[in-house]
Amino acid sequence: MLPKENNVQISEGSPERDVAFDRVGNERVVEGIGVAPGIAIGPVYLYARAAFEVEERHISRKERDAEIKRFEDAVSNSERDLKKIASVAREKLGEGSASIFDAQALMLRDEAFFDAVIERIRNDRMSADYGVQTVINKHRQLLKASESEYLRERANDMLDLQDRIVRHLRRGKILSDVDSKTIVVAESLTAADIVLFSRRGILGTVLDYGGATSHVSIMARALSLPAVVSTHGVTSEVATGDTMILDGLDGRVIINPTEETLQFYRDRKERYHRLQEEQKQLVPLPAETLDGHGIRLTANLEFQEELKLIEEYGAKGVGLFRTEILFLMQRRISLSEAEQFDTYRRIVQSVGPDTTTFRVLDFGGDKMLPMGHREHNPFLGWRGIRILLDKPELLYPQVRAIVRASAYGPVRILLPMVTEIGELRAFKQILREVYGDLEADGETVDPEIPVGIMVEVPAVAIKAARFAREADFFSIGTNDLTQYTLAVDRGNDLVASKYQELDPAILQLIKSTVDAARAEGIPVSVCGELAARPLATPILLGLGVDELSASPVYLPEIKRVIRAIRMEEAVDLARRSLDAGDAHEVTAILRVWLKEHACDVATMLEGDGRDVPGSA
Amino acid sequence: MVVREVTVTNRAGLHTRPASMIVRTASKFDADFFIQKDSYEINGKSIIGVMTLAAEQGATLTLTFEGEDEDEAAEAVADLFEEGFGEVK
Repeated sequence: MLPKENNVQISEGSPERDVAFDRVGNERVVEGIGVAPGIAIGPVYLYARAAFEVEERHISRKERDAEIKRFEDAVSNSERDLKKIASVAREKLGEGSASIFDAQALMLRDEAFFDAVIERIRNDRMSADYGVQTVINKHRQLLKASESEYLRERANDMLDLQDRIVRHLRRGKILSDVDSKTIVVAESLTAADIVLFSRRGILGTVLDYGGATSHVSIMARALSLPAVVSTHGVTSEVATGDTMILDGLDGRVIINPTEETLQFYRDRKERYHRLQEEQKQLVPLPAETLDGHGIRLTANLEFQEELKLIEEYGAKGVGLFRTEILFLMQRRISLSEAEQFDTYRRIVQSVGPDTTTFRVLDFGGDKMLPMGHREHNPFLGWRGIRILLDKPELLYPQVRAIVRASAYGPVRILLPMVTEIGELRAFKQILREVYGDLEADGETVDPEIPVGIMVEVPAVAIKAARFAREADFFSIGTNDLTQYTLAVDRGNDLVASKYQELDPAILQLIKSTVDAARAEGIPVSVCGELAARPLATPILLGLGVDELSASPVYLPEIKRVIRAIRMEEAVDLARRSLDAGDAHEVTAILRVWLKEHACDVATMLEGDGRDVPGSA
Repeated sequence: MVVREVTVTNRAGLHTRPASMIVRTASKFDADFFIQKDSYEINGKSIIGVMTLAAEQGATLTLTFEGEDEDEAAEAVADLFEEGFGEVK
């Protein structure tokens, strides 16, 4: 059952009940991206920056000392917050992410800020809020005048500091009017905000902006806080107190749900909790079909603090470690070899004796390097291996760090965005040089680290037979493979519905890749979002994929499907899907099978919308 | 008094993190510390001061130290610039 507090908006006899009934028919379903699983039902807390706008206000002489005291208290409180946030960030994300909060704390006591604000209050009789804004504005203007876009953006760090102090001035304690058991709706949040909200016991969060790999999304997953992002303007459609359903599994938000919808989601939530309990029993069991055909289930990881999830969800190694996230988290263009080695070594030691697959930096596309360059069409531009081969100063330290980490456990190297065989060869040449250097330094490392490529550009799937002769393994990235094959940008609302990972064209490309790998005897994994969808598991199994790599939280559910099927059935489903007319036909074939085979929980998690009363 | 000329070598310039490294390092010493860029001079123990220099890659700065431990302070701060704050150049 739901905790009682969650029902407050619709409970018998409450005044809100009438409001809810007034709005029957106003139910709205908004699709976004589910970035942290779970279902939340409760009242909205709308968190808007406008709440912190500062007015020009002056104070009287006799208010002066009290106003200075008020400012000093707000600074002390902000300092305490920042220490708390820095320590959580240090624990969850590592030293580099914490340093930004340490720097903000340093600013609070800086004479150019602290003394300057007190002077404004004392001499110009500004209110504390207005004084803070005036001083910060002056500094922001100086930064904004910079030629460097990166430095100009640092002006936002100052604005964060202003918001933080003003919030304290307004309400004594930061975020104190955010009730626990609410769903926080905002345009965007910082990772720091999400930490504080989570400590206040909120139910989940809905953000207009952001993607699956944004800093804030990763933090929400790490904190197990249900979250939906990229909802395009939900903030302008809700008010604090409105009832909302947040479905982090399907990436869906329902505003002012009808009683029928609420009931549906209460059931769904309960089923989800039951499923989670059942899943715990699947963790120690092998991932093999009814007739004993095994497939390896591995984890997609983004930072080392997620390592504990490997054991918790029973992953057999790391199929994809996205190294660029470490860099993006720390707002750094580069990490030293020593810093990288330290992180990689810990991961390898923790994952061993299973293998860790490190994908070298995949910057570009939607993961902007903080270098301030702009491209007209970044997804068809300077991305992944293309950047790395142009910038040996990024690639060398990383390859050295990974190779050195191989002394501590099995490691594989994965290259992103490969299109031409020459790129694989150029990388191998660099790897040979690194081996030579390390040998000269007397280091003992794995002399035969497998080097594989991402199959995410259709050209590579088409040329798979040729690549299979020189690559040690393939990893199919279905997200990019889908958008490049179908020519659909899924961030573009006008065509997003055409983004279908189960389009027979994608399945055909997966099939040719697997067949080519088979012929040369190299393994193939799938690491895109398709690997995390139980609906697609029978096809991937039937096509002969050796390994599925997904966020650990999804693995038990995939294992449930694998353990319920026979290999010949999977092969048959794959064959029929390849022959289907479009992705909808494929989905229909698979749903029938899942429903018939008591994988009803998997079907529930798939939720294509047809079962949701509100979205009809 | 010790005066040193340094160049910002890391690509991102003196953004938040390098600025806080400079301030933390300089604050370990008693010597007064100022940074001058063109005609603009700031207190090198103030993070906001250092950030508002908006010093980009390639910028030349004049560091001035004055006090008993000025030599050690100059050495420690100049080292940070030489190492590019541990970032890519």
